[in-house]
Amino acid sequence: MFGYEALLDQQQIRGKVTDENGSDFPGVNVVIKGTTNGTVTSTDGTYILDVASGATTLVFSFVGYATQEVAINGQTSINISLAPDVRALDEIVVTALGVQKESKKLGYSATLVKTDELVSQRTTNVMESLVGKVAGLNITPPAAGAGGSIQVRLRGQAAFAGANNAPLFVINGLPINQDARGANGAGQVAQRDRGDNLQNLNPDDIESMTVLKGATAAALYGSRAANGAIIITTKSGSKNQGIGVDYTSSYTASQALNFMGEIIQTEYGAGRFGVRPATQGIAQDNSHFAWGERLDGVPSVNFDGVLRPYSANPNRLFDFLRTGTNFTNTIGLSGGGANGSFRASFSNSDAKGIVPNNEYKKKILNVGINHDITPKLKLMMNINYAVEANINPPAIGTQGDGPVNFFTRVAISTPLEAFRESAINPATGAEYKTSGFLGTVNNPYYPIQKGQFFNDDRKRLLGTATLRYDLTDWLYVQGRYNYDYGTNFMEWNELNGKGATTLFEGTTGFYRGRYDIEQSESTEINADFLIGGNKEFGKFSVDAAFGGNTWRTEWHRNAQFSRLFVVPDLYSIKNGTNWGTNDANFQPYLYSRSRTNSLYGWAELGYNGIFYLNVTGRQDWFSVLNPKENFEFYPSVSGSFIFSELLPDQEWLSYGKLRTSWAEVGSANGVNPYDGQLTYAINPQFNGQTTSGVSGTLAPNPFLRPFSVIEKEIGLELRLFNNKVLFDISAFDKVTTNQILDVNISNTSGYNSSKENIASLKNSGLETLIEVTPLKKGNFTWTTSWNNAFLATKVLDVGNASGTFLVFRFNDTGNEFLGELRYTEGMAMNQLYVRSYRRNANGEIVVNDAGRLLPTTGATPGAEKTNGFLPIGSSIPKHTGGWNNTFTYKNLSLGVFIDYKFGGMVMSATHLNMTRQGHSKLSLEGRREGETGLVFPAVYESSGQPNTTVVTDLQSFYTDYRGHQIGDPFIFKSDFVKLRNISVSYNLTSLVQSVPAMKFVKGLTLTAACRNVAILYKDLPGLDPEAIQSSGDYRAGYENASLPTTRNLNFSLNVRF
Amino acid sequence: MKQIKPYILALAVTLLAAACDKDFVEVNTNPYAVTSSDPALLFAGAQRTHLGNWGSEHTIVQQFVSPFNDGATIGVNFNADIDLNNNPKWDQSYPGSVRNLVQALTILGNTTDRVNLKSMIRIWKVQTFMGLVDTYGDVPYFDAGKAVTNGVFFPAYDDDALIYDDLYNELKEAIAALNPGGDYVGSDLFYGANSNASTKTTTATEQVAKWKKLGNSLLLRLGMRYSKLNPAKAQTIVAEAFAGGVMTSNADNAYVKYDGSTYVHAENNGLRNFSQFNYAAEPFVDQLKATNDPRARYMIATYFNAGQIANDLNPNTTLGDQYGVPIGVTSGQITSDLINYRGSNPNGGLAYSQINIYAVGSPAAPDFYVTYAQTSLLLAEAAKRGWIPGGDATAQTHYENAIEADILVYSLYPTTTSISATAIDNYIAEPEVAYNPTDALELINTQYWIVNFRNGTEAFANFKRTGLPALSPNLFNNNLGGGFVRRLTYPDREGSANNANFEAASAAIGGDNLTSRVFWDN
Repeated sequence: MFGYEALLDQQQIRGKVTDENGSDFPGVNVVIKGTTNGTVTSTDGTYILDVASGATTLVFSFVGYATQEVAINGQTSINISLAPDVRALDEIVVTALGVQKESKKLGYSATLVKTDELVSQRTTNVMESLVGKVAGLNITPPAAGAGGSIQVRLRGQAAFAGANNAPLFVINGLPINQDARGANGAGQVAQRDRGDNLQNLNPDDIESMTVLKGATAAALYGSRAANGAIIITTKSGSKNQGIGVDYTSSYTASQALNFMGEIIQTEYGAGRFGVRPATQGIAQDNSHFAWGERLDGVPSVNFDGVLRPYSANPNRLFDFLRTGTNFTNTIGLSGGGANGSFRASFSNSDAKGIVPNNEYKKKILNVGINHDITPKLKLMMNINYAVEANINPPAIGTQGDGPVNFFTRVAISTPLEAFRESAINPATGAEYKTSGFLGTVNNPYYPIQKGQFFNDDRKRLLGTATLRYDLTDWLYVQGRYNYDYGTNFMEWNELNGKGATTLFEGTTGFYRGRYDIEQSESTEINADFLIGGNKEFGKFSVDAAFGGNTWRTEWHRNAQFSRLFVVPDLYSIKNGTNWGTNDANFQPYLYSRSRTNSLYGWAELGYNGIFYLNVTGRQDWFSVLNPKENFEFYPSVSGSFIFSELLPDQEWLSYGKLRTSWAEVGSANGVNPYDGQLTYAINPQFNGQTTSGVSGTLAPNPFLRPFSVIEKEIGLELRLFNNKVLFDISAFDKVTTNQILDVNISNTSGYNSSKENIASLKNSGLETLIEVTPLKKGNFTWTTSWNNAFLATKVLDVGNASGTFLVFRFNDTGNEFLGELRYTEGMAMNQLYVRSYRRNANGEIVVNDAGRLLPTTGATPGAEKTNGFLPIGSSIPKHTGGWNNTFTYKNLSLGVFIDYKFGGMVMSATHLNMTRQGHSKLSLEGRREGETGLVFPAVYESSGQPNTTVVTDLQSFYTDYRGHQIGDPFIFKSDFVKLRNISVSYNLTSLVQSVPAMKFVKGLTLTAACRNVAILYKDLPGLDPEAIQSSGDYRAGYENASLPTTRNLNFSLNVRF
Repeated sequence: MKQIKPYILALAVTLLAAACDKDFVEVNTNPYAVTSSDPALLFAGAQRTHLGNWGSEHTIVQQFVSPFNDGATIGVNFNADIDLNNNPKWDQSYPGSVRNLVQALTILGNTTDRVNLKSMIRIWKVQTFMGLVDTYGDVPYFDAGKAVTNGVFFPAYDDDALIYDDLYNELKEAIAALNPGGDYVGSDLFYGANSNASTKTTTATEQVAKWKKLGNSLLLRLGMRYSKLNPAKAQTIVAEAFAGGVMTSNADNAYVKYDGSTYVHAENNGLRNFSQFNYAAEPFVDQLKATNDPRARYMIATYFNAGQIANDLNPNTTLGDQYGVPIGVTSGQITSDLINYRGSNPNGGLAYSQINIYAVGSPAAPDFYVTYAQTSLLLAEAAKRGWIPGGDATAQTHYENAIEADILVYSLYPTTTSISATAIDNYIAEPEVAYNPTDALELINTQYWIVNFRNGTEAFANFKRTGLPALSPNLFNNNLGGGFVRRLTYPDREGSANNANFEAASAAIGGDNLTSRVFWDN
C-alpha cells in the first residue's frame, strides 16, 4: 500500500555530471536534500534517480569539489558541472599517520598542493615544480643534470649541515627520507649529484599532497618530525567509475641560459707577462692564463701545435653543451565497482641532459587498490616500483673536472674545435695537455672521446598494505605494513691519461685509471597499528587514537675497484692487477642496521564546531642510543578557534579561524649505528706484512642523543566576501637544541672530530598567503595568489668558546681559494666569510709600498677568531615567495608564475678564478686600451698617503686576490626574480566529443609550458644565483663552476578514455 | 568476539611497550666490524711515518724548488707561511702513527710477556715525536692520541725541552727493557719476518740487537741535537749512546721499501703530476756537480718536456747538463730574464733539472728513517768535537764509512746499478769531499745534507742545528728577516679546533711563525 502510494508520487530524474573540464564525472553523490536517498553517477557521469514528489532539491557532491544544490522544479533532466573547491570549508586534509581531518580542526598550518600544477608545470623531479608555490617551503633546484636532486627546506634549515634537513616524505603512509645523494660536493674530487628519492614519484600518479609545515603538524612522527612532513597519496581510482584509461605524453626541450657575456673578457688571449705562447710547449704550460696579448686574429700556436687565429671564442661552453630533452609517457588504467577501486599506471621517462653523455631514464609502475572485503573491513594497497638509470651525472659545483670549470678557465683565444680535435695527444694516447693546470682543468672532450662513464642504476619498491576494521561505528582498528626496498648498482671509471700526460702508472708498466663497482641494498620496514575512535556527546566531540610503530632498517654495500690495467681502455675488475688494496680507507663491505620502536596517541576535543584542542604524544626507543637511556618523548598540543561561527551574520566573513600550537619533536639523524664504538682497519699487506690501524677520523661518542626541536606557531585564516578572498598567515618560532655537531677536535688527539650534542639555533618566520579571484565574468576567470615567507635565522650556540664554528673552509679542499662557511653565535645561519681588503684606522683601503693588495688578518677587529675572515652575510634568503596567476577562458587556461628570493648572499669562485687567470672583465682594469698598469685606489699602509704606484705585473696583482683570499669583488646578493613558468592548457574534450565517432574519448587536454622563461632581476653577473647551490648544506652560498640553468619548453598531451 | 577484540589489542599494546628495546644492544653491534687488534699490527702500521715533503723541508734546505708563485704553489720557496706546506707532517703523524702507537701501548698495558714489542713501540714513538718537536717546537705530547682512552680531545702543548727530556728517558728505559730472551715481533716492518732481505731477522735475539742499535742511534741523534744549546749535555748523551752500541752497517738501517703498486711512495708520486712546478735547486745541483757525485744521476735529471716528465723514459742524467733553479727566483723571471736565467724548455716547463723519477723519485723508492750513514756521520762529528774518542782519525773513518754506506744503499732504488768501489774511492778523494780537519764539520754536515735528500725532517733539523752546509738565505722578500725558515708553523686548523692550547703554545715559543726557534736551535 505504502509502496504503491510512493510509486504514484515518484518521478524519475536523469542527468549527467561533468567536471570542470567538461569530462564525464563518475562517482558523484546525488542525494535528495533532507534524505539519505540517492545514487552515484556511473562511468559516463550519468545518473538516474527516483524522486518522491515532495522532494525539492538535489545535492551533488564529490570530495574536493564544491557541493551544488539544484532545485528540481519539475525537471526530469538535470545536467550540471561541478567545479573543484580548493577553498572548501570542510576541506579534508591528510594529516600525520595518514589520518584525514577537516581543516577547521587543525591547530597548525597545513597546505594542500594543487596537484594539477604538478602536471601542467611538469619537471623531471616532481618537487621542483613546487618552487615558490608554498609559503615556507624553500626549494632550490641545483643545475645538476637531468637526474639531479633538489634542495627542499621547510621553515628554514632546522639543523646544521650534516643532518638530514629535508622534510619527511610520507608516501601512502610510508615515511621515507629525501636522501639526496652525493649532493654536498667534496672539493676537487668531482662529486656527482645522484638524485634523490623524490625522483621515484610520477606526478601523474599523485592524488594529493599536503605540506605539514611545522613540528606540531608532524609531531606524531616524533624523532622524524624535525623538518615537518610532506604527505603524498597516490591514486587508487574511485568507486563505481567503470574502467578508464588515461594517457599522458610529454616532451621537454632544455637549453642552457647564457649569462657569461656579462663577465667574460674578449680582449686578451693566452699567455703570460703580455706575451702570447711562442711554442707549443709554452702554450701547453700557459694557456690557462689570459695575460697574453691583445687579440689580433693572427694565427698563433695552440697547445696542440696548430696555428689558429688569436681571437675571442666566448661561447665555447654553450657550443659544447647540447639541447636537453625529456620524453615521458604515462599510461594509467583505473576502475571501480561497488566494493572497491584500483588504478595501475606505468610511466617511462627518457631524459638527456645538456652536458653531452648525461642521460637519465626511469620507469615507474604504480598500483593502488582499495577494497571493501566486508562493509567493515577495508584493504588498501599501494605499490610504487621505480627503476632509474642515471648516466654520467655531470660533475658540478666544484673545481676539478667538468666543462664549466674548463671553459671558464682556459684562455678565450683557443677555439672549441681545438679541444675537440686534439683531446687526445697522438704521441702519448693521454690527454693532450691544454694548460698548466692539467689535472684540475681537464678537457671535457677527453672523457667523452675516451669513454668515461658513471652509471647509477637504482630500483626501488615502496609497498604499503593497510587493513582497517570498524569495530563499531565509532571505533576502528588499523594495521599497516610498509616495505621499502632499494637496490643500487653503480659503476664508474677513472680514465687512464685523464688529467695526466701519460697512460702508464708510475714505472709499473700497467695502465693508469681505475674501475669501481658498488652494489648496495637497503630494506626499511615500518609496521604500525592504530586503534582510534571518535564520538560526539552533545556539543562535544572526541577523537582519540593510540598506536605503535616499529621501524627497522638494514643496509649493506659491497664495493670493489681495480687498477693497474693490462689492456688499455678496458675497464673491468679482471683487467686490473690490483684490486682495491692500496687504499686503507676503502672498505669493500659496509653494513648497518637500526631499529626504532614507538608508541603514540592523540586526543582531540571539540566543542560545537567552534573550539578544538588536540594533544599528541609519542615515545621513541632507539637502538642507536646508549642502552641506559635509549628513549625520548615527543609531545604536542594545538588548538583552533573558528570564530566565524560566533559571527554568523557577518556578510563579509565567510570563515575565520585562529590557531595556535606548541610541539617538541626531534631527530636522531646524526646518531648512526655503531657511532660509539672503536673499530680497527686491517690494511692491505705491505710487502707481505699485514698491518692495522685505528679506524676513522671521528672519535667514538657513546653518549650521543637525538637533537630536539621546539616549535611554537600561531595562525589566522580568513575567507572573505563569499570565499572570493582567502587570507592565511602563520608566525612560527622554532628552536633547535642539542644539535649533533661534528666538533673539530685537535687532531693531535688522534681524531679530527667528535660528534657532540652541543649546538642550537633558531628559525622564526612569517608566512602569508593571499588568494583572490579579482575577475570572474562570463567564461573568463582570473585567480591570483601571492605567497610570501619571511625567515629569520639565528645561531644560538655553537658549543665552543670562540662562538664560531667552521663548517667548511673551501680552501681546505686543496684547490679552491675563496671563503668559509661558518655558524657564528648571534648571527644568521650559514654565514659566509671571506678575507677583505685591509683598511687603516680611517677605514681607507691600504696597499703595501709596491702598490699591492693586503688582506685582513687575525689582527683585524672582528676577525680575531677567524684568522682575518670577516662575515658577509647569510646564504639563506630572508624572503621567498611566488605570485601565481591563472586565467581561464572557456577551455583555455593560462598560468603565469613569478617567484623570487631575496636577502641571501653568494660568493663566486668562478669570478675569482676568472679574474686571477685573466679571463674576467674585472681583470681588464689596468690593461684596457691606453692603460699601462693599475693604480689601485687606496692609501699606503706605511705612510697613509694616497697610492701612486703603477702596478704593471697585473697577473701577480690579481693573483693576490687568490693568494690572500680577498673576497670583496666576488661577493654578490643571491637575490632574483624569475618568470618561472608560463603554461597554456587547452581542454579539447567537448570539441572531440562533438564528433560522434570520438565519443569514447572522455578527456583531451593539450598543454604547452615554458619553465625558467626569464630572470627578471639578479645581482650575480654571469651566472644564475640559484644554480649555484648543491642540495646539501655544506657548500651553501659557494659558487664554483656551476652548470647553467636551463630554459625548458614542454608540450604535453593528456587523453582519457 | 566483538567484545574480546579490544582486550586482545590492549594486551598486544602492553606487550609491545614492554618489548620496546628488546635486542637493541645486539642490533647496534656491527657483526662485520673489526673490534680488536693485535698491538703488533698497530705498531707495524705506525712504522711508516712521515719523512718530510719535497715542497717544504727539502725546499727550505735548498734541495728542491717550486719556482711558480702564481698562488696555489707559492710556498716556503718564497718564504711564505702556507698551511698546505706546514701540515703534512702534523696531519700524518698524530692521527696516524701517534694514535696507533698510543692505542697499542694502551692495549699492552702492564703486560710483561711482550716486553720487546712494547719497547719497540716506545722507541718508535720517540722517533716520531723527535721529528715533530724538531719541526714545530712545542707540540702536544703527554696528552696526544688519547681521545678514546682518556677522552682528551684538546691536548695541551708541552714544552719542547721537557718533551726531549721525556724522550731521553723513554729511549733509555725502552732500550734497557729489550730482552733477547723475550718475544719476537714478526710484524716489525724494519727487521721482522717480512722485512727486506738485507735487514731481516728471524729470532728475538737478532731482532733485539737491531732495535738496541736503532734505539742508541736515535739516542745519538737526540744527544747531538743539544750541540748548540748545551754541548756538555750533548757530549754525555752521545757518549752514552755510543757506549750502548749504535748502527754499524747498512744491515742495521731502519727502512721500508715501497712496491710501487699496492703501496706507492706518496711523496714521490706527486712529482710526476704538475711536473712543471718541480725542480732541483741550484745549491744542491752545484754541490753534486762540483764533486762529481756518483749518486747524482739517480737523484736528478733533465727531461725532454719538463711539464710532462712521466713521458720521458730516458731522461738525461749527464751531470754536466744539470742546472738547478736559483733560489728566490720566480718562473716569471726565469722565462722573461734570459740574460740571467735559462728560460723555458721549448717543449714545456723550464730549462732546469728535476728529480729523477725512476730512482730517488720513484713511486717504488724506499724510505730511510734511521740509517747507518746518518749515524756514522753523527759519530764523525762527535769524534771531531772530541765527544767520543779518536779525534780526526776516527772522524775520518766514520765520515768515509758513511759516504760508502750511503752510496751503496742506492742499489735499493729501482733502475739503479751498483756504484763501484772505485767510483766510491774516487768520490771520497774529490778535493771538495776528501776529509780534512779544518773543514771537517762542513764536510760532514754537507754529506748529512746529501744523505738526507730523501729525509726532509732530518735534513731540516740538522741544517738548523749546524747551519751547514753554508747556504745563502732566500732573499726573495724580507719575510724571514734575511734568515732561514726555522720551523714550520702549526696547522691553521689547530688555531680554531684547539684554540686555547694553540694560543698558549704560540706565545710560549715566541709566536707561531716560520722564524721562531725550537729550544735546541738557539
